[in-house]
Amino acid sequence: MSLPKISCVPASRLLSSIHDLRWLLRSVTPLSVPRRALVQSEYRRPGQPREDKPQWPMFKFDFSKGLEGIKKHFKLLRHEVSGRLVGPEGKPIIEHMLEQNRVIWEFRGPDSLQEWTLSSDREIGGQSEIYLKLGRNSDTCFLYGTLQNAPPRDGETRYSGYCTMRSKQPLASFDRKTHYDWSSFNTLHLRIRGDGRPWMINVATETYFAHQKYDIYSYFLYTRGGPYWQDVKIPFSKFFLTNRGRIQDDQHPLWLDKINTIGFTLGDKAEGPFQLEIDFIGVCKDYAHTEDFAYEVYKRNPEV
Amino acid sequence: MRPREASSEGDFALSPDHIDLLCAVLSDGNLLEGSADGMKCSRGLLPLVRSGRTAAQRCALLPSTSQLIVQQNEQQQVLRYFRCSPASAKRGPVPAQFVKEDEQKGTKSLATKEDLFEQVAKEYKTKDTFNKVIDVFTKRDIRRRGHVEFIYAALKKMSEFGVERDLSVYNKLLDVFPKEVFVPRNFIQRMFNHYPRQQECGVELLEQMENYGIMPNTETKVLLVQIFGEKSHPMRKYQRIMYWFPKFKYINPFPIPQPLPEDPVDLARLSLTRIANDLDARITIYQLPCTDFTESGEEIKLPHIVGIQSPSQMELLAKHNPKKPVFVEGPFPLWLRKTCVYYYVLRADPIPLEEKVEEPYDPERCFDYPLQLDLDLDRDLGDDESFDVDDLDEGPVFAMCMTSQGDQATLNQWISGLQQNNPILGKVPTLFHLDAGTQELQGAADTEPGYRHQAHPEAQREEPQPAEDPEAVVEEESRRSHGMKQ
Repeated sequence: MSLPKISCVPASRLLSSIHDLRWLLRSVTPLSVPRRALVQSEYRRPGQPREDKPQWPMFKFDFSKGLEGIKKHFKLLRHEVSGRLVGPEGKPIIEHMLEQNRVIWEFRGPDSLQEWTLSSDREIGGQSEIYLKLGRNSDTCFLYGTLQNAPPRDGETRYSGYCTMRSKQPLASFDRKTHYDWSSFNTLHLRIRGDGRPWMINVATETYFAHQKYDIYSYFLYTRGGPYWQDVKIPFSKFFLTNRGRIQDDQHPLWLDKINTIGFTLGDKAEGPFQLEIDFIGVCKDYAHTEDFAYEVYKRNPEV
Repeated sequence: MRPREASSEGDFALSPDHIDLLCAVLSDGNLLEGSADGMKCSRGLLPLVRSGRTAAQRCALLPSTSQLIVQQNEQQQVLRYFRCSPASAKRGPVPAQFVKEDEQKGTKSLATKEDLFEQVAKEYKTKDTFNKVIDVFTKRDIRRRGHVEFIYAALKKMSEFGVERDLSVYNKLLDVFPKEVFVPRNFIQRMFNHYPRQQECGVELLEQMENYGIMPNTETKVLLVQIFGEKSHPMRKYQRIMYWFPKFKYINPFPIPQPLPEDPVDLARLSLTRIANDLDARITIYQLPCTDFTESGEEIKLPHIVGIQSPSQMELLAKHNPKKPVFVEGPFPLWLRKTCVYYYVLRADPIPLEEKVEEPYDPERCFDYPLQLDLDLDRDLGDDESFDVDDLDEGPVFAMCMTSQGDQATLNQWISGLQQNNPILGKVPTLFHLDAGTQELQGAADTEPGYRHQAHPEAQREEPQPAEDPEAVVEEESRRSHGMKQ
């Protein structure tokens, strides 16, 4: 099982199997993605002193940018309100009901790259690198970099070597968090061209309780490599529940009504350069797929 | 033999031939194995050796026993070993660790359990010696003191000995734990995480097995039950491994054979069939690796050239317009588990819309079913199975090849080989894009305004696009093969 294992294990906490999963946190990418697009806690490397920086100096009071922001948000608000008059989610109801395929992410211009956040080993002190650019001559994205397995020498991290790309949480007007609703679909369809490395697809949903904060539904993405594009169809019933990279005992199917982000992770312990091109990511309704869930839901490890 | 008693330092003056005998005896692993006589002897010898060691240290007769053993190995003396044949002398300096540890105890330096493994000389690091070290540890003390540290050290050193994928070694290591001591006996012990350090160690061991993808067997389960009981953390971990591993074992739609072929030609065949995506594709070996002698007598190693082409690719190449160039691009990386191989591609630019000719299907190509149906069915939104994306047309790929040396001469040879089956290659100009960086298939030079709007640097038709990353070296050469190979 090649789930990314990044365990920095103080001995006393090993058995409670809480392991830090750095790749969930976002980082600055070379494409000047805004560092604090959404307020989240930054990971603090062990041994680094806490920085007591007040948040307010970071705000830049720029009049023209403020005006642009107001325009943008009111425009979004207007679309939302008028969209509701057309039908659910801004589409006519007949389209919403009969829709069989929907393209969620395409890479048509440099703006589409702003929707993605890159992260790698570097945050915890490793040496892996990851970069994202637009594919040449095609409307695809090209994710490339180098994977290095050497764990950072901070005394507690044992495994390392991962790179990840994660989409950003969709935002409505005035930066309100909203979710994707894929409840009328049952399969994830990707068109990719990899180099033979196995990746992992992670879908994060909206959760309520604190212990569900790092709950992610994952599945493997095996690439064939080669010059031909590969169509990958993964039914949502195959996604298994993990928390902080550890697969959970109590499994349940992925709920599609409030999806926050999707991400791709590479952690296959093979040092060297990697690349992945993605043409589009879509969801579709496969009528031939009738499975609810691929794994057993009943309690498999009853208590002592 | 000196009786077993607390030996005081300096008691026992050793003479060189005593030490010879002792060391010779100890260098033979046989003595420390199961034989009863051997065990008695070794136990008898131990205190002797302890005192002997310190005495030797003082006398400075021999700086260290392990060095002596090395000397013996170098000089290759055939010594008369005590109660066993000299043939088994090769089996390493494993017992030397006994002595070294005691010496370190005497000198009060930090002795870690890893030293037991480190003292095995590099050339002897095999599964046998690893097992021997474990045996040395288990037989040393019935209570197995320090077994947790020993197991952690062993887990770290496994890769040096090359046994990290061996299930029997993991079982043997699990055997180091004393049995039935850590099994909780009443509800209070069950509640309170009985022997947490040992349970953690067990979990670590299973986690290393999991990392290497090794499936445990019933022996592991029996050992775990004997050591930790049935509701312990290591047992739970074992149950999780046994639940998830079979589910994920065969989910790779492009499986890679477990021992990868070592021969580069076989590896090339495997990877080319993998990326060809066509079962009809045929592999051609244009050149096997061999050494050639030039006129001046130098040896040149000729690389292997393995190419692949399917009938549909041959058709596409036959239909290609001879006025447009074809490109040889590469090297592109392909990862097979942990090895990276590189392949080269022969491709052309996509045909612009104006020139696309729709050829009607030949009805005689397939008699089983009609290739084209002229039915006038209305498909509404519910039946539309295609995605709302522009069709990506990057141009046809005509052939792929793999070679160890990616220079132009070798690729020229490949093209000449291809020409035998595709005569059009003789008339078409071939351009070479051999970059040495991260690769993506370079698509069409965008000159047609109506076709696929992209933001591009200005590029002309004949010339290849300038590479964006500065390290890439673009070589290009026009090659017209008239009169070659005809």
